[in-house]
Amino acid sequence: MSTRLKLLGAAAAASLLSLAVLALVVAPEDARQGDAQRLMYVHVPAAWLAYLAFFVTAVASALWLWKRTRSTTWDLLAGSSAEIGVVFTALALVLGSLWGRPTWGTWWEWDARVTTTAVLFFLYLGYLALRRTGATAEARGTRCAVAALIAFLDVPVVHFSVTWWETLHQDATVLNRELDVKMEGFWMPFTLVWSVVAFTLLYAFLVTLRLRLAELEEGREASDLERAIAERVRAGDPVPVGGS
Amino acid sequence: MDENWGYVVAGYAVTVATLSAYGAWLWQRLRRARRGVGD
Repeated sequence: MSTRLKLLGAAAAASLLSLAVLALVVAPEDARQGDAQRLMYVHVPAAWLAYLAFFVTAVASALWLWKRTRSTTWDLLAGSSAEIGVVFTALALVLGSLWGRPTWGTWWEWDARVTTTAVLFFLYLGYLALRRTGATAEARGTRCAVAALIAFLDVPVVHFSVTWWETLHQDATVLNRELDVKMEGFWMPFTLVWSVVAFTLLYAFLVTLRLRLAELEEGREASDLERAIAERVRAGDPVPVGGS
Repeated sequence: MDENWGYVVAGYAVTVATLSAYGAWLWQRLRRARRGVGD
């Protein structure tokens, strides 16, 4: 592991530890929601990081589709970021459910925000399954890039669902239409912003590791294929051309 | 401290467990892949 990556990992760990102290000890209890509101310091950044991860997947997919910028790295980055996005989406759904029980009185509600987020989770789960289908790297890259761009259409739907429909889920606390931060005092908004910073550092660390793994696996597959072709050539077998 | 602390503790425990498990799984796969390249 490079020194830069070690530093990134250390920064992510330190910021997450300080987030735990801020969220559980320093930030005051919410006047209406009580201590359940402390779940927002992990639920909100998990949801935001899912958006970011899927945005990176969409951009990398577009760069793959554009012939002038096509590179295997974009395809591998798209897959790596989507996998992490799925982890964060699952986390956001579970944490939302744990917050919903004491606040809404239910573990699950077919509310527009919750439902579109669940759809987002399954869309990208399907995308990850599509990445595992047998094909050449070129065919897989193109097929998955198109799927990623289609799946990304759900991200603005998730974000604006609270303004487009009457929902039980509250409006955005920070990035709302009035850009009015609906939190009081200093520590509550600071902890929320800090949580996004800490989770972003963690995402940067994880996506770098995941991309490195994808590159190693891709290289291994390519060298296995080359070895198999060389063995068949040595044995005098005809090597099939084309097909998948 | 109110009665909702149980949900808070569960939420933070789920977060730590999920992210640690994913990180450890990634780390293990990376080590295995690096060993494979060295073969």
